Amino acid sequence: MSALVAALIALAGLTLIKATPLIFAALGGVLSERSGVVNIGLEGIMIGGAFTAVCVSGATGSPLLGAIAGIFAGAALAALLAFVATRLAFDQIVAGTGLNIVALGGAAFGLVLVYGQPGASHEVPAFGKTGEAVLTVLALVLAGALSLFLNRTPWGLRIRACGENPRAAASAGIDPLQTRFWSVVAGGAIASLGGVYLALAELDLYSDGMTAGRGFIALAAVIFGRWTPFGATGAALFFGFFSALQYTLQRVGIPSELMQALPYLAALVALAGLAGRVRAPASDGIPYVAEAVRSR
Amino acid sequence: MSEPVLTLRGIRKRFGAVLAVDGVDLELHAGEIHALVGENGAGKSTLAAIAFGAVIPDEGTVDAHAVVGLVHQHFQLVDRLNVWENVLLGREPRRGWRIDRDAARERVRTLAAEHGLDVDPDALVENLPIGVQQRVELLRELERRPGVLLLDEPTAALAPTEIASFFRTITALAKAGAAVLIVTHKLQEVIDYSTRVTVMRSGRVVARYDTNATSTDEIARAMVGGDLPPLAERAAVTPTPRLTVRALAAGSGGGELVDGTFEVRAGEIVGVAGVEGNGQSALADALAGVTAYTGTIELDGVALTSSVTPAARLAAGVRVIPQDRRNEALVLGWTIAENVALGRHQTPPMRRGMVIDRAAENAAAAEVIERFDVRPPNAQATVDALSGGNQQKVVVGRALGAHPKLIVAYQPTRGIDVGAATLVQSRLIEARNAGCAVLLISFELDEIFALADRVLVMSGGRFVGAFDRANVDRGRVGTLMAGGH
Amino acid sequence: MPAFFRLRIVRDLAVALIVVFGVGSIAMLLAHVSPIDGFSALFDGAFGTTSEFAETLVSATALLFPALGIALAFRAGLFNIGAEGQLVLGGLAAGVAGVFVPGPPIVSIVVTLLAGAIAGGVWGGIAGFLKARFGANEVIATLMLNVIAALVATYAVDGPLHFATANEGETPLLAHTAWLPTIVPDTRLTISIVIALALAFALRFVFNRTVFGFELRAAGEAPEAARRSGVDLSRIALLAMTFSGAIAGLGGATLVTGVLHRFNTGLSPGYGFVAIAVALVGNLEPIWIAVAAFAFGILQNGALSMQAEANVPRDIVNVVEGLVIIALAGRRYVASRRST
Repeated sequence: MSALVAALIALAGLTLIKATPLIFAALGGVLSERSGVVNIGLEGIMIGGAFTAVCVSGATGSPLLGAIAGIFAGAALAALLAFVATRLAFDQIVAGTGLNIVALGGAAFGLVLVYGQPGASHEVPAFGKTGEAVLTVLALVLAGALSLFLNRTPWGLRIRACGENPRAAASAGIDPLQTRFWSVVAGGAIASLGGVYLALAELDLYSDGMTAGRGFIALAAVIFGRWTPFGATGAALFFGFFSALQYTLQRVGIPSELMQALPYLAALVALAGLAGRVRAPASDGIPYVAEAVRSR
Repeated sequence: MSEPVLTLRGIRKRFGAVLAVDGVDLELHAGEIHALVGENGAGKSTLAAIAFGAVIPDEGTVDAHAVVGLVHQHFQLVDRLNVWENVLLGREPRRGWRIDRDAARERVRTLAAEHGLDVDPDALVENLPIGVQQRVELLRELERRPGVLLLDEPTAALAPTEIASFFRTITALAKAGAAVLIVTHKLQEVIDYSTRVTVMRSGRVVARYDTNATSTDEIARAMVGGDLPPLAERAAVTPTPRLTVRALAAGSGGGELVDGTFEVRAGEIVGVAGVEGNGQSALADALAGVTAYTGTIELDGVALTSSVTPAARLAAGVRVIPQDRRNEALVLGWTIAENVALGRHQTPPMRRGMVIDRAAENAAAAEVIERFDVRPPNAQATVDALSGGNQQKVVVGRALGAHPKLIVAYQPTRGIDVGAATLVQSRLIEARNAGCAVLLISFELDEIFALADRVLVMSGGRFVGAFDRANVDRGRVGTLMAGGH
Repeated sequence: MPAFFRLRIVRDLAVALIVVFGVGSIAMLLAHVSPIDGFSALFDGAFGTTSEFAETLVSATALLFPALGIALAFRAGLFNIGAEGQLVLGGLAAGVAGVFVPGPPIVSIVVTLLAGAIAGGVWGGIAGFLKARFGANEVIATLMLNVIAALVATYAVDGPLHFATANEGETPLLAHTAWLPTIVPDTRLTISIVIALALAFALRFVFNRTVFGFELRAAGEAPEAARRSGVDLSRIALLAMTFSGAIAGLGGATLVTGVLHRFNTGLSPGYGFVAIAVALVGNLEPIWIAVAAFAFGILQNGALSMQAEANVPRDIVNVVEGLVIIALAGRRYVASRRST
């Protein structure tokens, strides 16, 4: 009996470890999408956060400084997308896809420049067990804080208004472009912590492709969670559970690739099951262009 | 007279190739209700937006000595937020870094009571009927204590009794010292409630009147610049059965169709009168086949069940003119020719095997352009560059050009100039003369009375009244529209 | 209309060139390489000799197939971000089929390529089905399917589809009858480029002249108007994603039958993603996409030389390609047809 309990506790712990980066990314996605901008570039932002955190931690010896640098990197990448999506009113999904490619290529390029070798960096100072736990707790606290922020504060209300009907928000004196810009940037800062966790908590280095599509699973978590912070966190835990399951079942002898595919399959099934039953913010993904009035 | 609260001087505004406002002066004084009238495309909405500050004029000055509020023609409300969130958006009462929800509710209740408007602060806007939504929009502007209140087509979506109540509120506001500008095309309301009238045509001011010194006829003539072009002659036709609808129910939430039972015969125009939001959209969508429904629809004896696709209905001779041409009828980036082909592209002559027959496409487009006087008369012109009136002519032209058995015309003259509107109406009459069955759904009673052989009234998703052209009673129709008996 | 169209193409091309040369130069400087050296290594590697030029065309062809597929989906209003996965599985199918196919080269080649197209079509069709039946967001669906495809390929090639005659991560050499004939001797340039160009012209015809293309474009540009005019949006979504995947799968198959002569899990260095940039630079018009594919082929092929000769890490090309995608995101590619 106690062996089973121990196994379950281990599974629970592993679920939290696997879910934490997803929670950060999903929360960043929620904030961005509630303001009306779809951020397909979460994957690239995680990559940017991870790579920058590793470089700075390696250079300064402090994972904390690395984490902070990672946040800035994520925010900077998000700012590029935010600018293109708001001021230029470009297609958000196409721009987000480009951002992912930029980040992946940039990190690979940076690996050679900084570490002289492609594929992976050296090992760098990373967070220990306490640091890992702190980050996980931070993720859960952030979920609560974001929920409070969106639902109880004036800025949260204005963000939600911009995501539903930016024209109405504009007529109430709010600037939808600026609101969306900062939401995306803040979302990017939060999401990059997911990459920081992967690189400095779960591991202690950066390697090509370490994010493995987690940024995309986070997008599915946002939808699955009905664009709410708590919902997205729950969905992230759900997907993290499948990831954790994969490790446990691998020892049972099921081929690893099929197990690795579990979280992605779960996301696919969730997508199919939920479609049509959930409502995104009405203006999500639709660029806002201040239109002059004319009778047509 | 006292100093004007709002002065517009020499306003000029161009949108691309269109000169929307061409040198306009306007003064608003405290305590007056000023009507700004003109046909669609005359520039009045643009002028109101300029007065509000949402649009910057190319030339001219806007001088406001008070807070300016604007109630838009199409409400600027966030559907998924509730009433107090919409009213106080941007000016939320706070307790620390949180919103003070109790204070917010209280503020909305007080404001509503002050102006005699009945709203529930916690109701979600998307669940409210249109008339109540307008109250929320109005409250939002009133919250800012405006000295100038601009209202763009405020009674478009109101029942006649709601209109009276609305103007009570407005008159009280004016009496309390506000300067009110109402942009409208409803001339009877202008005569009944306003103090001064400014008439615009093609971006210019063409007349100014004191309301008590003028009449609807005089204003109408100034709006159009002459007399209205005549409608086509109605031929004496003996109608034969064509469309039978029994117990039709569609849609959900607000504005659903509860019980539709009526007939439209070949060779007649049946007009459906009603206030927007009483089931008309559900009715049109059900006939078009884009929404699920229960009940029976029979066309020439053939049953059209809910599962019959739009494509099959088009093939069966049903053409629907949707109320939103930009989103529901046209592909804006395509040419006139390609748009004319849309909806007729699945059958010969447009379709030749797997390929679109270019010659047939161009011939059809040429026919529409000619019969409907589309300008510019170039089949390769992009539809996006056309004016609203010409766009609507393309939509109506392609529907009628297919020689349908049934035409469902939903607001066929919405937002277009009087010349185009009259042409469209004439073509509908000619279709009726030629044996087409026409179902006309319109929010403009004048249009219904001008065109319909029979008038049906919709209210609350049901058909509550039927009249023949000869014995239709306007007052009675108005009462039925408002839900009375 | 033609004049306006050309203006946009010119503007987009100019932006793309600025990004390539501007960002490329900055990156080269960061790598302590003079841009002159870097770019001349790049172009030399792309054009220098006949075989290098042929190799550039090989890269261009590898990009052209998925780009055409992506453009088809885009025109229908759908984002096919899953071309990479469709390409890989198409290659896998071709790699397995091509080991066994009998008979004259014509038959072998057609069967092998068909296998690739079918595999890619099925994979794209899954996303199309999810969209058509459930309204599921095809962006996320194709992204998930990409990862799953890679995992499936890795598993299959070392598991149930493993041949004793093959190394890890690949299938055995294809039967010689299934090899695509080369058109320039001693190079890897095969008739696949002819197939790709023919496909481009065929696609242009489909878009502009056929009823299917008419409905597809209507669905992409004005879905509500299309629906009310009799277009079956679900059917279009399913068919568009299926054909899109099939074309990408065909591309994977040509890589296997023409270039590698076997399937390898490292078959594609991200062609399916770069192809997005190719489709955008080509303005979603098949013939222009072919031109764009050529330009990107230069970048892809030249980048290898640039790394070998001038010591500039080739990944900078990916950064540049990503920035080109961002810079060309200006057009409204999908009429706001919201679904989860």
